[in-house]
Amino acid sequence: MTEALLDVRDLHVWFDLPHGAELHAVQGVSFSLEPGDRLGLVGESGCGKTTTILAVMGLLPPSASVAGQVILNGQDIMLGAEQTVRPHRWKDIAMVFQGAMNALNPVKTVGSQIVEPMVLHEVAEGAAAKTRAGELLELVGIPAASAARFPHEFSGGMRQRAAIAMALACEPKLLLADEPTTALDVMVQAQILDLLIRLTDDLGLTMLLVTHDLPVVAQVCERAAVMYAGRIAETGPMDTLFHDPRHPYTRLLFAATPDLYGEGDVVSIPGSPPRLDHRIEGCAFRDRCDKAFERCVAETPALLEVAGGHRAACHLNDLNGEGAA
Amino acid sequence: MRGADYLLKRTLFALVTVFVAVTLNFVLFRALPGDAVSNLSHVPHATPALRLALQKEFGLDKPMWEQYLLYLKELSRGNLGVSFATQQPVWSQLRSKLANTIPMVALGTAVAIIIGIGTGVLSAWRRGTVTDHISTNTAIAFYAFPTQWLGLMLLILFAGVLPSVGMHDPFIVGAGFWASKLDALKHMVLPAATLALTLYGEFTLVVRSSMLETMGEDYVLTARAKGMKSWTIVRTHALRNAMLPTTTLIALSLGYVVAGTILIETVFSWPGVGQSVYNSVINRDYPMLQGAFLVLTLSVVFFNFVADLLYFRLDPRISA
Amino acid sequence: MSAIANEPGIVADAPRKRSRGGLVWDVIKGRPSAAVGAVIMGIFLFIAIFAGVIAPYSVHTQVGPVYGVPSAQHWLGLDDGGIDMVSLLLQGARVSLIVGFAAAFVATVVGGGVGMIAGYFGGKPESVLMRITDYFLVIPDVPLMIVIATLWGPSLSHVIFVIGLLLWTTTARIIRAQVKSVRERVYVKRARAMGASHWRIVFRHVLPQIAPLLVANVVLTVAVAIFDETALAFLGLSDPTAVSWGSIIEHAFLRQAISTGAWWAIVPPGICVALVIMGCYLVGQAIEDALNPRLKVAHLSVRGFRLRPLVGMDKDTL
Repeated sequence: MTEALLDVRDLHVWFDLPHGAELHAVQGVSFSLEPGDRLGLVGESGCGKTTTILAVMGLLPPSASVAGQVILNGQDIMLGAEQTVRPHRWKDIAMVFQGAMNALNPVKTVGSQIVEPMVLHEVAEGAAAKTRAGELLELVGIPAASAARFPHEFSGGMRQRAAIAMALACEPKLLLADEPTTALDVMVQAQILDLLIRLTDDLGLTMLLVTHDLPVVAQVCERAAVMYAGRIAETGPMDTLFHDPRHPYTRLLFAATPDLYGEGDVVSIPGSPPRLDHRIEGCAFRDRCDKAFERCVAETPALLEVAGGHRAACHLNDLNGEGAA
Repeated sequence: MRGADYLLKRTLFALVTVFVAVTLNFVLFRALPGDAVSNLSHVPHATPALRLALQKEFGLDKPMWEQYLLYLKELSRGNLGVSFATQQPVWSQLRSKLANTIPMVALGTAVAIIIGIGTGVLSAWRRGTVTDHISTNTAIAFYAFPTQWLGLMLLILFAGVLPSVGMHDPFIVGAGFWASKLDALKHMVLPAATLALTLYGEFTLVVRSSMLETMGEDYVLTARAKGMKSWTIVRTHALRNAMLPTTTLIALSLGYVVAGTILIETVFSWPGVGQSVYNSVINRDYPMLQGAFLVLTLSVVFFNFVADLLYFRLDPRISA
Repeated sequence: MSAIANEPGIVADAPRKRSRGGLVWDVIKGRPSAAVGAVIMGIFLFIAIFAGVIAPYSVHTQVGPVYGVPSAQHWLGLDDGGIDMVSLLLQGARVSLIVGFAAAFVATVVGGGVGMIAGYFGGKPESVLMRITDYFLVIPDVPLMIVIATLWGPSLSHVIFVIGLLLWTTTARIIRAQVKSVRERVYVKRARAMGASHWRIVFRHVLPQIAPLLVANVVLTVAVAIFDETALAFLGLSDPTAVSWGSIIEHAFLRQAISTGAWWAIVPPGICVALVIMGCYLVGQAIEDALNPRLKVAHLSVRGFRLRPLVGMDKDTL
């Protein structure tokens, strides 16, 4: 069995709130990625998925506290907080942010922003760096000459492509993408997603894609992890999640996505996610779940293996009370 | 050419503002009732020939609109009338005064900008800490102290250590070029320092708030994600972007520089345009006051225009 | 939109609920800087109102030698006319504050009016008014004030009007921007559709919305007005019979206080002016900050995020 490229174990993130309170944004999240994987991290806004991938790169504010392990190629980079995470940024793990509109500095040329990390990590410099920046732009479908242009001269789709080119500058092994297509219109979305698939195949990249948009995940990823209220509700191959969901949230999530042909009713999930600034007893989803019972109130369900590679955190899978990690 | 539209608009704006200022000048001094004011030829102790010449040049017996046109014509020739106090042409006097004011103001403003940017960045960097509070409140305090009072305070503190009056030591006679320059510089220290102290506070606050704004931008997070150290990001990304609104706001503070100059030159008897304003107010030397006002206003319009150009240079997004 | 700001509960400084006293009161209660500023202003307002009663001596009678030193009877000594400094300062508070507030009032009425008309009606009136405002924004205030004050003659009312009429520009810009945005709000559009008259819309809908901003602007304008009055007085352009902090400094300067070493004639009035201006600035700035909450989290800081050991986690979180 190949060694996992990224192994996140029991990750917790808390944010300080005024008056001594705390927001427990990520509550014991674990997942792993093998080289070449494309894993989707799915959930409603506020479920903690963005915080999770920011935590993987250590891009958290001073108001945050972290617990757990982030093991990259067998090494826990979270061991020394910022000090141990920083050397891996962009060189091993790179990120494409949502809304690349603002992720690029408006007063600097696009090319200079691609060259910047190359020089920083001593991958290339001077004319060689510029040439390489041009090549990266071509790779994502932008003419190399536009490196001399400024971000505001690019369309939204082109800016996102440029952001992807920038992310590849230091040949990272892992690419984190946070809602890369959310702010784009549908046609452009499809192009960007195709680009991401092509790049990960051609360059042997591993990708962790965060989104609330199920069709996006379905198109790009083979596996997905569904997050709810800071925890992983279910994880497994995309097909299985669609055809055999073992968590009511997953089922409802897929049902809530309108079919292109308008067949079937769009079912919305009543209620809203719980606040994460105080402890939740039992299952976080029970208030909105159509199948909740007494055990859901008292006991938080553990993420249990349902089948090979398919895990769900729901008491319905464990009616005999055996439990198994 | 990029932004030709913008440049044209700003040039036009500057020209119109000059026109408004010039017209305002005319209206205030000539079109208002009061013989002593409107009659430029009433130079005390003037020869009849001079009076007649002025009457003719400025058409003081003609209808107002004709006077206005004549005023504009004389203005373009550099004729601002004759000072009531000295019977000398206003412009030639102001010219030499301007040559005295400019170095002092330039020094004071430059120091203020440097201190302002330094403390502004420091405060933003250490936001919320004691350093930030001290720095910000000190800036507010110096901004609040009346300029003339600051000058007087410096006078009290440094009396005897640094020269406190005028631009030259009257007892240095026949000194060499460098010696007299050094002497002027020594005299310039207190006035320029006062200007710096009175100006820097506003700059600190402006730089601090635009730095804070910039530090929350997404591209800063991107820079951090690339593995750059915080201070490097401040230097190469945040500061550069924070300079944009800073330039605009420094331009808006030019009025404050002018006010400060008038007050400071009065306190230190610095022979510049500001002192001319003060003297002409005391002596009711209306042509001189009119001329000084015009010179000051036009300077501000000019530097405002320069700031517009600078902003254009700094921000690639401006094209129209 | 910043990635982190999307997480629930991370929004910094966003006001949740307005209390019944309105935004201004909330700000004063909530922010220490504003509270300090409000206290300072309160103290000086009290002094200004009760100066006549509190002042230990008359400002017209000589009670000692010229530039008498500070003593037990005269805490801040005497000025160039042998008059008690403390009484002068208290009296000066009255004039300085009156001029400051009155001028700010004039500026706000004019500037607010211009801004309101420009912002509410838009189109031609707006561009014309704003153009004029822009020109006057560039023209420096103080020289123009000096010129007008010189031509018009020294009197308090002149000073008030001169300052007020030249400070309208900043107010006009700010009010116009705010009115424009309020005008686009749903309830205003609804009111217009229902046929409400312009006056009614302005007074019932627009004015309450821009009120906090107006208050902030008035307060900040008071600060500038007091600074300007002090400057004009220093140059001899204020009412010679009125005692203001500015005129106290002017007298001290003209009557060789420095060479006599009479620092008590110069230092206190400047400090008073500075305190009032600081107070105004703190309150005004705090209100403006509250109206524009900065939702962004700074991505740069000296400290980094912290680590927490996993020990002590209960079984639920596993």
